[in-house]
Amino acid sequence: MSMVTTTSQEHHGEDHSHEPPWPVQLKSNRLGMWLFMFSEVFLFGALLTARFILWGQFRPRLSQEIGLVATVILLFSSWFVYRGQTAIEFGDRKAFQRNFLLAAIFGTLFLIGVVFFEWNIFGLSASIGPIELFGHLKPSDGVESGIFFAMTGWHALHVVTGVMLLLIMWNKGRRGEFTPGRSWGVEGAGLYWHFVDVVWVFYYPALYLMGLPM
Amino acid sequence: MSESKSKALRRGMWTFVALMVLTILEFGVAIALRGSIIPLFLIALIKAAMIVWVFMHIYRLWREESH
Repeated sequence: MSMVTTTSQEHHGEDHSHEPPWPVQLKSNRLGMWLFMFSEVFLFGALLTARFILWGQFRPRLSQEIGLVATVILLFSSWFVYRGQTAIEFGDRKAFQRNFLLAAIFGTLFLIGVVFFEWNIFGLSASIGPIELFGHLKPSDGVESGIFFAMTGWHALHVVTGVMLLLIMWNKGRRGEFTPGRSWGVEGAGLYWHFVDVVWVFYYPALYLMGLPM
Repeated sequence: MSESKSKALRRGMWTFVALMVLTILEFGVAIALRGSIIPLFLIALIKAAMIVWVFMHIYRLWREESH
């Protein structure tokens, strides 16, 4: 029995002689992550193309101000992630935790902005001067409306995943699992979050700014 | 990790500021040019390139790690 345990430990815990050196692993991790994001570009790109086919030179009457606020919130979260990544690379665990937590909070605020205000799931109506606070599009309004929900919905799903990743990394960092040279988890989660931000950089003008109101 | 922490943080802050300025600019461009697609797409491209280069460190893909 003890022999079995020893063999098991060699295979699963302590014997790393079969693993490639860390720099090689890190390079493979990065390449794999970028390839994954590249594959996602086709998905988000297809939805973006569908928007131009369906809406053309027009856009639905969405509150441009809500889109602007949501964009600013997402940019803030990306900046916090960058600060957190930089902090852990230099061994500052406290700053890493603070910034990743802030990024997760801002990511959640972005989600609230999309689901509560833009999707208007409770059917509310309010405005500040000329600025409408709640959207009025419905998924059942037709295919033109459907593409709006497909784009924002698919993006929001990625934001949910990103927030979960940020919180997982924050918790791992709290337990002291990352060191300056060994923080791939933080880097990977950061890459994913910034990618979600890049997608929104194109979606925001495509949905809210490009074209004339229908 | 050859640059200092403060230098890296400063670079991130200026990139963030530039992204905010470009976001406000594209909002203004959309109103002034009545949603003209080409300039808005160009601004989005510049913003994306800044995020990919500074925040996502794409250059690390072809950099040799020493640690």
